[in-house]
Amino acid sequence: MNSTFETPSASLLARLRRLRTSGRLRRLTTLAQVWTLVVLFIFFGLAAPNFLTPRNLENILRQISTLAIFGTGMTFVLLLAEIDLSIAANAAVTAMISAHLYTNLEYPEPIPMIAALGTATLLGLISGISSARFRIPSFMTTLAVSLIAGGLTTYISKGRVITKISPWAAFLGSGRIGGEGGFPVIVVVAVITLVIGYFVLRYTRFGRYVYMTGASKTAARLAGVNTNRVLIMVLTICGFTAGLAGVVSMGRLHSAQPDAAPGFLIDTIGAVVLGGTSLMGGRGGMIQTVIGLLIYGTLRNGLDNIPQIDIYLKEFITGVVLLVALMVNTVFAGKAERDRTL
Amino acid sequence: MIPPLTVAENLFLGRQPLARWGTIDWQTMTQTAQEELHKLGFDLNVQLPLEQYSLGTQQVVEVLRAILSGARVLVMDEPTSALSPAEVEGLIALVHTLREQGRSIIYISHFLEEVVRVADRITVLRNGDKVATVSREEATMDSLIAMILGREMTRAKEPLDTTRTYEQTLLQVNRLTADVFSDITFSVGRGEVVGIYGAIGAGHFDVARAIFGLYQFDSGEVILDEDPFPPDFSTRYAIRRGLAYVTESRRKSLLMDEAIFRNITMPHLERIGRLVPRREDELAVATPTIPRVNVQPPDPLNPVGKLSGGNQQKVAIARWLAFPPKVFVASEPTRGMDVGAKSEVLAILRRLRDEGYGVLVIASEPETILAVADRVIVMSRGHIVSEMNNENLDKDSLMRLL
Repeated sequence: MNSTFETPSASLLARLRRLRTSGRLRRLTTLAQVWTLVVLFIFFGLAAPNFLTPRNLENILRQISTLAIFGTGMTFVLLLAEIDLSIAANAAVTAMISAHLYTNLEYPEPIPMIAALGTATLLGLISGISSARFRIPSFMTTLAVSLIAGGLTTYISKGRVITKISPWAAFLGSGRIGGEGGFPVIVVVAVITLVIGYFVLRYTRFGRYVYMTGASKTAARLAGVNTNRVLIMVLTICGFTAGLAGVVSMGRLHSAQPDAAPGFLIDTIGAVVLGGTSLMGGRGGMIQTVIGLLIYGTLRNGLDNIPQIDIYLKEFITGVVLLVALMVNTVFAGKAERDRTL
Repeated sequence: MIPPLTVAENLFLGRQPLARWGTIDWQTMTQTAQEELHKLGFDLNVQLPLEQYSLGTQQVVEVLRAILSGARVLVMDEPTSALSPAEVEGLIALVHTLREQGRSIIYISHFLEEVVRVADRITVLRNGDKVATVSREEATMDSLIAMILGREMTRAKEPLDTTRTYEQTLLQVNRLTADVFSDITFSVGRGEVVGIYGAIGAGHFDVARAIFGLYQFDSGEVILDEDPFPPDFSTRYAIRRGLAYVTESRRKSLLMDEAIFRNITMPHLERIGRLVPRREDELAVATPTIPRVNVQPPDPLNPVGKLSGGNQQKVAIARWLAFPPKVFVASEPTRGMDVGAKSEVLAILRRLRDEGYGVLVIASEPETILAVADRVIVMSRGHIVSEMNNENLDKDSLMRLL
């Protein structure tokens, strides 16, 4: 693309570039999150015999892929200092609609896929419009939408699990590129989602509007940004990624469940925030989310691989490590930029 | 202070009188609050939420809370910056009463006139260092200003050219009416600075917000350069048509963590790159505007939060120079600035006028208006009460119109 603007002085451009690369490097190495990941990795590498095998590393990636798709949308939402509590229910209804259309009503693909993702996107849009136009906190609208989605799932499924799913969903969730022993498709889907999210947030005007609105809604409005539209778009994006995650997760489990998996919501928010994206908006991004996901995946998988740990204690330990990691992160973040206000 | 709580609760915040079971003794609290306020000459309904009273009254309640808690020394940090002149009088009277009661007061303010009226001793700080402490008798406004600036100052006011005529009207506002203002009609010509002066609460700031699409008005019209705005136009629309708005709060309009150039391009991303704004282009757009308003230091990559208040304000102005508008609207352009930064910002506004923009300045400090405006409009309680050329006007004559 050719620029229509005069080029700024070469020295200024060079400084901008240096600031960008050195800033990014410095940020990454001083980021407590990165060290948390390294420490966890070394710890489990030493403590769990099977942790560092290629097979297990692939496991970790497959395990966090669903979360990564959820997390992409959630990163947008948290950057805006909003929240979406409906993602797990949204994912469940999406999977159920796809399975119901394909198995019970025998529509061929792509109809079930389009209907499912369309519903997910629509649910996000509904949260967005009701939050933006009626100024209801997204905490409440997405909670209501979560009930709507859950109710729809129950109504469609009549409480039954559907175990036959479309080959498209099966391919996305548990297919492998190059047949048996190839690279898992689910990881590819997750990576593509994250990369698109990264590009949109970092390079597009819309991405800048998300950061601006999250950092200061008033400042964004004064600059002519339609903050309502940004909110609607962000919740719609999150609805779409929740739906995609629902379909992929169904493909991984080879069934559509009549209940939402409540773990998805907590795990997604946990992973994104652990990565360093602030709940207060304006700070964080897709790189942070990737790091958060890796920490989360390492922790969960690592605990599985230490035979001495009582499996009934796993949840408890995960919680404790999470809390400590969050505190360490805040302390380190605070050191870099301390708020001197008392 | 916690605005939704009642006056009485605010007065007893953190030391509520307790009844036998450790519960709050509401009756004692209300009674004591009423009596204590009465003693100091204020009769408020202490059971009403604090937020129902004016800012001035809230300020008074805050002072009284400190007194009731037994404070012997009171530190007041810019207590009048948000108050109307009448409220300021009330507060100054209260300060005098407190002094007579034998309490000590440290009064921090950048309103020199107040300082001279209130203080027995005056200490001047500059750039974090103490310059001098003088007694009131020795202090004059000019000597204080000289100490603040660190140099002898010649008066900031420049002679006004009253022979200007404005052939072309750039901004025309007709019968603008909303809940807090009504029937507002005025115009701003090319190469003219129009000042709207009013006390806090006169509705003049909301007029500015309405012109910029940030405050919904019920009727009336805004015409920019013969181009009438549609009803319910958006801020984006106003910006695209050539309006620029510098708000009364820099904290609200700028992103403190972001670099200067990023803050400058904020309203213009659409014009820099529709889908993907390139950083290099942003820098190219922003950099030339920085020397035009003399931001110090002039490094476009510096975060705005590291600049002084005056320089932040210059960034807020520079942002609009990137794609020149037709009319600048500036609310309280000099609020909270030291004398030097003030005159610099006012000089920038005058220069914009000379370059052929229309400038609308809205302020509650008469000095600002008198120093910069060619024509002065006075607003009071949502109405325009007077409009005149800025000839032989002084602070007194303006304040009498309120």
